[in-house]
Formats: sequence, structure tokens, C-alpha cells
Amino acid sequence: MLAKRITTILPDLTFEEALEVTKIHSISGMTDNDIGIITKRPFRSPHHTISPTSMIGGGVIPKPGEISLAHNGVLFLDELPEFNRNTLEVLRGPLEDRNVTISRLYSKVVYPANFMLVTSMNPCPCGYYGSIEKECKCSKLAIEKYLNRISGPLLDRIDLHVEVKPVKYQKLNSGNKVESSKQIKERVNNARRIQYLRYKDLNIFSNAELTPKMIEKYCVLNEECKKILELAFNKLGLSARAYGRILKVARTIADLDGSNNIQKQHLAEAIQYRSLDRKYGDKF
Amino acid sequence: MKINIDDRRYPEQLRKIHNPPKQLYLKGNKKLLDTIGIAIIGSRCCTQYGEKMARKFSKELSLYGITIISGMAKGIDSFAHIGSIETTGNTIAIIPSGFNNIYPKENIKLYNEIIQNNGLVITEYDENEKATSNRFLERNRIVSGLAIATLVIEGGTRSGTSVTAELTKKQEKNVFCVPSNLENSKGITPNKLIKEGAFLVTEVEDIISKYPEINLKKIKIKKCKDNSISEEYKEIFDIINNEKEIHINDIAKKLKLDINEISYKLMMLELEDKIVSLPGNNYRIK
Repeated sequence: MLAKRITTILPDLTFEEALEVTKIHSISGMTDNDIGIITKRPFRSPHHTISPTSMIGGGVIPKPGEISLAHNGVLFLDELPEFNRNTLEVLRGPLEDRNVTISRLYSKVVYPANFMLVTSMNPCPCGYYGSIEKECKCSKLAIEKYLNRISGPLLDRIDLHVEVKPVKYQKLNSGNKVESSKQIKERVNNARRIQYLRYKDLNIFSNAELTPKMIEKYCVLNEECKKILELAFNKLGLSARAYGRILKVARTIADLDGSNNIQKQHLAEAIQYRSLDRKYGDKF
Repeated sequence: MKINIDDRRYPEQLRKIHNPPKQLYLKGNKKLLDTIGIAIIGSRCCTQYGEKMARKFSKELSLYGITIISGMAKGIDSFAHIGSIETTGNTIAIIPSGFNNIYPKENIKLYNEIIQNNGLVITEYDENEKATSNRFLERNRIVSGLAIATLVIEGGTRSGTSVTAELTKKQEKNVFCVPSNLENSKGITPNKLIKEGAFLVTEVEDIISKYPEINLKKIKIKKCKDNSISEEYKEIFDIINNEKEIHINDIAKKLKLDINEISYKLMMLELEDKIVSLPGNNYRIK
């Protein structure tokens, strides 16, 4: 439910992006003749029985898979540990390169796959591990096995890990006013605009697409932040890949805040989001 | 270091058992052999409840200055050692293999931690010997032999835990048990032992009161009143300090702050080693 709402806060498609999305949907025969150009970001949520081929695309004349259909949008994988291991591992390359190369006997195609991966999972088979209210009945071994279905390298490529509490009935219909999707979207659009202007000469749209060289230039840390990051790396045992990713996330948090430079609170928040590495680190 | 059974330093407790090991190989703080120890044993695949209990009793016994003895296996054993290390107590691990083949491999980190924190690791096997299934049971006689009593946390049917409990009884020492939920398959051994006459334990004093002859004084650990925490994070730290375990949402509710501000402060406190984050976004004091 939460994940489905994510498209409501995503920034509007730029014209270039909309063209790309429409092209991919068009060759898959998924465009609507009445609408023409697609203006909404796609949201794809394949079932967990999906095969590796339909995930990345394929066929005699390769057709785009789910990851390309989710280009410039969201690929949502519900119940991540239930997915076939192979299906998940094929995501590794595209997540890094933002495109996928499919080679067949008669053709070789490169499809764009710049998607946002959103996934959900339970903490353990029974679903109550870590809950204060209800006791978890799983053995340590069972929890380990369950978490082990997701490989470390894949987890490494996921930037934000958020553990959520089950929602209580009273909360479901309490009248508490919180920030609406519209307001959030406005903030997101603002941050996007900052990024768009910053990178307009570089042929990229967002922080996520920064190369290591660009990170050096655009994600400058002050002395205090450098110390925090060093401490975090030594203490939490983060990987080299996590380094660049934390900086990109920190850059984005700073953009949302409207700040020119990355401050220590932005960096600390970014590190905080790698909670699965921190808490379940030995298990993956 | 190796000590033989006729050595003066060989622990008296152990010499008295039915089949004492001929030699012991030691690594770490040898003085612990002369301290009073209680064994904490239990299942390798324990539940969350087992983990909590193992940590709790290990910590509280450590506060009475008692050495925690266990087998360094996965599950309850590990948590018993960790609980002791966290309260800077004494702990002895008895492993079923030589020092070059630490078993289980996952616990090599724990092994190093025990030695670094003034703990002791014991084995009766030559350094290149490997762990075999009968050695787990052989190891258990040393666990119960070194201790003055055994505390059973969780264990399934026909488990190594029940064997150790039997050995303890044979050595004419007390067996204490933490009761378990009847539906918990890992609660069978402790509940059965209680039925057969083992002492039921609900608080650590249940154990301590059985040994009036031993002069045990509770060491009071000062509640963390750290001045090194800067004003910025003090508020959050105080809230966590007052609770056993608290969820990030509840902290936010109490302080009426934004979750992102809190999460950044929690991260800083965690990096400074003041708090620990637990599964499910809960936090407690280190």
C-alpha cells in the first residue's frame, strides 16, 4: 500500500524522459492510442514468480523486460526473499549501469533501465522479529536463512533501508494531519530542479547518475563530515560501493533541505538509512 | 598454555568430576579458573525470547561478580558470553576443538573478543584437532564441571542442553531453569527439568540466594551519566537512558521532533558508541 503511493510523490517527467518512456512502451505494444505520449512515471510490480528473462527482457527479437518498462519510474518487488535468486541477481548489472544489453543470435539490443528499485520484506518468516509488542517465534537459524536469500551485493545497491512498525487500528482512522503527497511532491520537484540546473551541462538529470569523478566535484565534505564518515566506515564495516552511495544520498538530502553544501546532519541521516548493513551485517 | 591434571593450577572443581580431562589448553586470562562461575547453556537455534533471557541473566550474574561459563556455540552460548562482555564481567568459553580450528567459524570474532576482554578460552584438544559430534558432548562435562551450578535457558528434546543438565545433576550441583512458553519447541528441556525438580528462576536473586556461603556483592554500575555527550544529543540520550528499549517513533512523539532530525542524532550517538540500534528500529543504551 505504502509502495504504491510512491508514484504520487515522484517528480514530473521531463519532456526527454517522457519520450524515452513512451518509446519503450511503444515497442512493447503497451501504448494507449488515445493518449499518445506517456506523462506519468511507470510503476511496475511483477509477481515474485517472474523469470530472469522477463525481468531483464529477451526473446528471439529481444523485447524490453520489467526493468526497462520501469525506466524513469519505479520497479516494486513485493516480498523480496520470495523471488528466485537468479531473478534478483540479474538486477545487479542494470542497477549499476542503468541499462541492459541483451544479446541473441540475430540481434543485440541495449535497453535503458534507469529505474528506482523499491522492495519490501518481512524481518523473519513469522514477521515479528524485532517487535516489542509481539514475540517472534522463529529460531535464529530460520531468520538467518530467510535473510540470506538476499545477497550482500544486491543489498549493497539499495540506498535506503527503513524498518517500519505494524500499523495499529487506531492509527488507521485517526484524524492526524500529516504532510500530504502534494506537498511532498512539491519539495521533490524543488530538489529535482536544483539538480537539473546543477547538472545541465553534464547530460544527466539527477544525483543518482553521478559518476565517481562527479561525486568528487559535487559532493564535497567539510572536515567534520569527513571525520563522521571515517568513523562510520570503521565502525559499521561498510563497503566501498556504499561510500559513493552514501554521498549521493547525502547530496539529495541536502538538496531537499535547500542547502548548498552537505552538512553533518545530512550525512548522518544518509548513513542511518543503511540500517540493514548495520544491524544484520553478519547475516548477509 | 597447557596444564596437566596433576598441575597445581588445575581447577579443583574439575578434578572432582567423574572423568576429568587429562590436560587443558588455555588462552586468555588464567586467573578466571579460580573464580566462581555459573554455566549458562541452551539451544544453538534459540528464539528471540531465549536471546533476551540469556543476555539478561548473563548480565545480572556478571554484576554479582560471577564468571559466566559457556560453550561458545551459536545461539544461547554466544549471547551468554556477549552479555558478560557487555557488562565487563568475566567469561570462560570451552570449545570442542583445538585453537587452530575454532568452532563454529562464525564465532571467531566472538573468540577474539573474549580474549581481548580479559576472558578465558579453554579446550582439552590439541591445537590442530577438529570439532566432531562426540566432542560437543565431551565438552559439556567441562562446562558443567567448572561451574558451581548450571542455568538452562532453552533447549529442544534430546538436545546437548539436556545432556549438560544431566551431567550437572550427576556432579551433584544445582540446575536452574528459565521457564518457557509451552508452545515453544525450544522450551521443552527447561520445562521438563523444572518438572523433575530443577529450580525455577524468574530473577537472578533466585540463584544467588542458594549460595549464602559465597560472599557475593552486587557491583553497582553507575547509570551512564556521561558528560561527554554534547547538549545537542543530550535530550534524546536521556530518553533512551530511561527506557529499556524504545522505538524511534516513540522518541519522536516524546520530543515532538521530525523523524529525520532524530534519526541523524541517533546515528551520531550510535557512532559515538553511546547507544545500540536493534532490529525493528528500536534503540537501547550501550
